[in-house]
Amino acid sequence: MKRANRVLAAFVGVILFSMAGVALAAPPERWLHVKVIDSAGGETVRVNVPLSLAEKILPTINHGNLHNGRVTCGGIELNGLDLRAIFEAVKDTPDNEFVTVQGRDEDVRVAKQAGNFVVHVHQADKSKEKQEVDVIVPMAVVQALISSGTKELDLVAAIRALKEMGDATLVTVHDGTNNVRVWIDARNTSE
Amino acid sequence: MILGKVALGFLGAAVVGGAMLCSDGFVTVRVNEHQPKGTHLHLVVPGALAPIGMKFVPREKMNEAERNVRPWLPAIRAAVDQIADYSDTTFVEVTNSSEHIRVSKVGASIVVDVEDPGETVHVSVPWRTIKSVLRELEEAGPSA
Repeated sequence: MKRANRVLAAFVGVILFSMAGVALAAPPERWLHVKVIDSAGGETVRVNVPLSLAEKILPTINHGNLHNGRVTCGGIELNGLDLRAIFEAVKDTPDNEFVTVQGRDEDVRVAKQAGNFVVHVHQADKSKEKQEVDVIVPMAVVQALISSGTKELDLVAAIRALKEMGDATLVTVHDGTNNVRVWIDARNTSE
Repeated sequence: MILGKVALGFLGAAVVGGAMLCSDGFVTVRVNEHQPKGTHLHLVVPGALAPIGMKFVPREKMNEAERNVRPWLPAIRAAVDQIADYSDTTFVEVTNSSEHIRVSKVGASIVVDVEDPGETVHVSVPWRTIKSVLRELEEAGPSA
């Protein structure tokens, strides 16, 4: 009887130990993917980078404006908008639409929506090719990005914040010939 | 009896030496030129020989290589240190009408494949060899 109890206790111990192992297992690696399709040139570029690898490598690169995982910049502009100034302005505000530009050839929308910073640019200038740009960045990532001061963007902090996020598409660009997509998920291959 | 011991000693040394040579894995280089009389090279070299081979590179060439790669050494070292933790994957793939380039991790090696109409190139280098080569390059630096 005692032997049976011991066997049962050992069996339960093994099961509990395995369950603890599953519970304590490291979270799955998050991967940043970039896919660029240039249909005019017939070229496809796929890049798959584990976020933890980027987190380790970026601080070691000191080149140009990139130092210790931070990019020094006076201002990041997208179609004349100073994105950094907008990040600062919107980080503590509730969801809202901050900038809406509706022109004959171009629509620009900057908003905070469901915890994401959203930039949408639609360009339909007749002289140029139609272009759609969508940038969706979780606010936590935006906050991490601007956490190091006014003249820098902290890429490593942003990557750490991204690691905590679920699967998401961050950037899509479509124009007449190019399709660009940047996204994160737990898969180590592009679709 | 003595001859047997000597033979056993040689055999032991050969086995240990072979094991040491193979411990870093193998560097594989395959080049196939798609033309008549084109080069068809297939080279498999123990990775452990790479740092030994670098000892024979002229000092000024090593210094030059070290100068060129110095800014990127910490990044390459960080990548190589980290890469063992990931499952096999393709890090970069470029495909166009004439070329297919792929940089991937396969087992314990970094593999670069290039296919174009003129040639097919396959290079596979174990990351332990890359680490050894980096160490040699660092030692060739001005502080060495």
